Amino acid sequence: MIVNKLKGLMFLGVSCLLLWSCGKDNYDAPSSTISGFVTYQGKPLQLKGTDQAIQLQLYQMGYELNDHIPVYVNQNGEFNVKTFDGNYKLITRDNNGPWENSQDTLDITLNGSQADLKLEVTPYFWVNSSEITLEGDNVLKATLEAEKIIAEAEMDYIMVLVNNTQFVDNQTNVFRKDIQGEELSLEFKEQLGDLADKHPSLFARVGILAKGSDQAIYSEVVKLK
Amino acid sequence: MSKQFIYVILLLFVSTGCNKLLEQDPDQILTDEEIYGDEIMLNSVLANFYDRIQWGQHIGDPYSYTILDEAGRSDGGADNISDYANDLWRVYDYGLIRDINKFLVGLRNSDLISESDLLRYEGETRFIRAWLYFNMAKGLGGVPLVGDEVFEYVPGEPLDDLQYPRATESDTYKYVISEMDDIHNNLSDEKTINAARVNKWAALMLKARASIYAASLAKYNNQLSNPIKTTGGEVGIAASEAQGFYETALEAAEEVYKNSPYELSLKYPEDLQKNFYDALNIKENNVEVIWAKDHIYPGQTTGFTRENIPASHAEDIDRAYAGPILNLVEDFEYKDNRLGQLKIKDANGDYIYYSDPLDLFENKDARLGGTVILPGADFRGEEVLMQAGQKNLSDGKWVNRTSQPGGRDASGQLITSINGPVNNNEQHINKTGFHFRKFLDETSGASTRGRNSEMWYPRFRFAEAILIAAEASLELGNKAEALKYLNQIRERAGIQDLQQIDIDDIIQERRVELAFEDHRYWDMKRFRRAHLVWNGSLSNEKAVHYALFPYKIVAEGHPQNGKWVFEKVRFINSPNARNFQMRNYYNFIDQNWINNNPNIVKNPYQ
Repeated sequence: MIVNKLKGLMFLGVSCLLLWSCGKDNYDAPSSTISGFVTYQGKPLQLKGTDQAIQLQLYQMGYELNDHIPVYVNQNGEFNVKTFDGNYKLITRDNNGPWENSQDTLDITLNGSQADLKLEVTPYFWVNSSEITLEGDNVLKATLEAEKIIAEAEMDYIMVLVNNTQFVDNQTNVFRKDIQGEELSLEFKEQLGDLADKHPSLFARVGILAKGSDQAIYSEVVKLK
Repeated sequence: MSKQFIYVILLLFVSTGCNKLLEQDPDQILTDEEIYGDEIMLNSVLANFYDRIQWGQHIGDPYSYTILDEAGRSDGGADNISDYANDLWRVYDYGLIRDINKFLVGLRNSDLISESDLLRYEGETRFIRAWLYFNMAKGLGGVPLVGDEVFEYVPGEPLDDLQYPRATESDTYKYVISEMDDIHNNLSDEKTINAARVNKWAALMLKARASIYAASLAKYNNQLSNPIKTTGGEVGIAASEAQGFYETALEAAEEVYKNSPYELSLKYPEDLQKNFYDALNIKENNVEVIWAKDHIYPGQTTGFTRENIPASHAEDIDRAYAGPILNLVEDFEYKDNRLGQLKIKDANGDYIYYSDPLDLFENKDARLGGTVILPGADFRGEEVLMQAGQKNLSDGKWVNRTSQPGGRDASGQLITSINGPVNNNEQHINKTGFHFRKFLDETSGASTRGRNSEMWYPRFRFAEAILIAAEASLELGNKAEALKYLNQIRERAGIQDLQQIDIDDIIQERRVELAFEDHRYWDMKRFRRAHLVWNGSLSNEKAVHYALFPYKIVAEGHPQNGKWVFEKVRFINSPNARNFQMRNYYNFIDQNWINNNPNIVKNPYQ
């Protein structure tokens, strides 16, 4: 009988310990969200979304040792990050992205959540319109009208890209063709052959790489089939 | 318990208490007198330094060969890497610099050794320090230069005096060069045993290599449309400095070329392939290697041979970890044709039939066979048979037939060789079609776990001096001189002389001559070619790995029966294209270093 009672007590004691150990030593998970777009004149940029290629840097002020929080941008130019309330500065990463490297700061005071932020940048090029279609006999047709935003920018090449998932960029693709030159417009036609039959669905976009830039700016992703 | 017993115990305590148990001299910590009063101790400190200075690509780390475009990893399943790490081959070892500087202080205060011995020890030590700085600069750009300082920290004192900012990239290279200017005449000008310790010529080679790196960085970085630099010059050398660095490089390389006891090894002019292998891999009476990481049994051996030996020659379970890829093989030229593409198919797209697999490589650069074990070539006097499978005739078409390694068909003919190559994710079998020959030890027992290999790893050799002289001459506008140097290298390889020369010829020659010697990555970086060649695109043949699969024709009665055909295939274990991005030109600065020293600035793209 006594042994049983002791067991009961011990069980109760251990349970109490378990209950006690919560609460004190843990932080709450970050609950506030910062989200928004990388934009030019209010319009989001189409970017490379894989491989953590485009990163922004979020600095929190007021601490002695401050490393940034990396903020990854997806292929629609959208970013979002969960963090604690406080004062932050959001900047682009040095020399990263298809825009002029100015590292202008966006100040953010976080109290609750901040949505629809706009981090304005000045891209080298801007895609005004593009049309990509897959016609009978698996012929890929692409047109592009682009505009030079920064006068000194020089074009390195235009890429026509096709992939079998909705992520399409210079690296993630099943088909890539580079067209060298300075032309701001494009009339492209190519027979995809087996490639088009092999994949049940295909997505495409075009990209423009400026000389000296580490990333290209893209058109919106189009579903071919 | 009896009282007597307790007394006895107490007595024991009292009697041992007089022993000086706690006053023993420590046998793990040595005093300054013990070290600097004994030449054997001095040498063992130096040996410790020599053991801490192997970075980057080397035979102790065969994986390091597979991430560029020289070899592929055959061991197990696919390696999905594409990008390069921000801290790839990053060196930042101020712990070693402190140890070296402490040693220098002790050395200079020691009365054990004569003045000339002191200079020699000091020279060797400062060489190692400069080599370390050079290796840091290759990855990081400018780094803090602390000279001979041994820092003392007094708790409570401000840290400002200890927090050196980064020197400029240019000054870091200049420091390495000036250190070599200071010490090279204090070092011996004779060859050292197994090239394991540095001499005057190694010092001049470091000077030449540091100068040519700095010169090409100054020139080619500024040809980028967006040169990589920081405002303080920690990264980025002015274009105007290129000329001076090229002159220094030429001067140092020519001194090695003209006055050193080394030469381009030519012991077997009748067999240039063996000649090239021996020039690099045989230590006895070697005339070409100036400084190497030596290995010796017991204790200091390398597992490279054991890990990479062909299955048919393996002496232990390890084998075929990695092998050279077709990209490298095709970059070796033909004797009279600069395009090295193998003749696998004719103009109509039909197979070309060979009666011996080695016939495919006829008239290739002799260095190819000395660098790579080709299909059907000998190793240790026995053939390394590579056979992916049979090609059988079915309805007038060739059909591949493969089997388990070593499998045979009904008539007893081999289907797939135990050496592969295969297209699966098995361990211990080759998948590229080639094995390493460079640095693979032919000695019996060298591929056993119990023994391993005594193969050395050359860091400087005479051929590099010639290549540096050729490059510097070319960049300084002296094409005739550049051709004279470069053609010496080409003649030893048994390929035609060049009549014209530009920088691509230098890059090409360095690629094949110095394969697997930790040059490729740094060359692609300093010429600012890496982001173009390894651009991450699967449609770029240079960024994708290829393998070569030999098949034997087995078709009774067919005129080609018993002959060999070859297929170029994507190397299965490297599914992704190599993607070197602009940020990879310089390693990232670690946040901890900045926390410790806020004067350190970050690198571009970080």
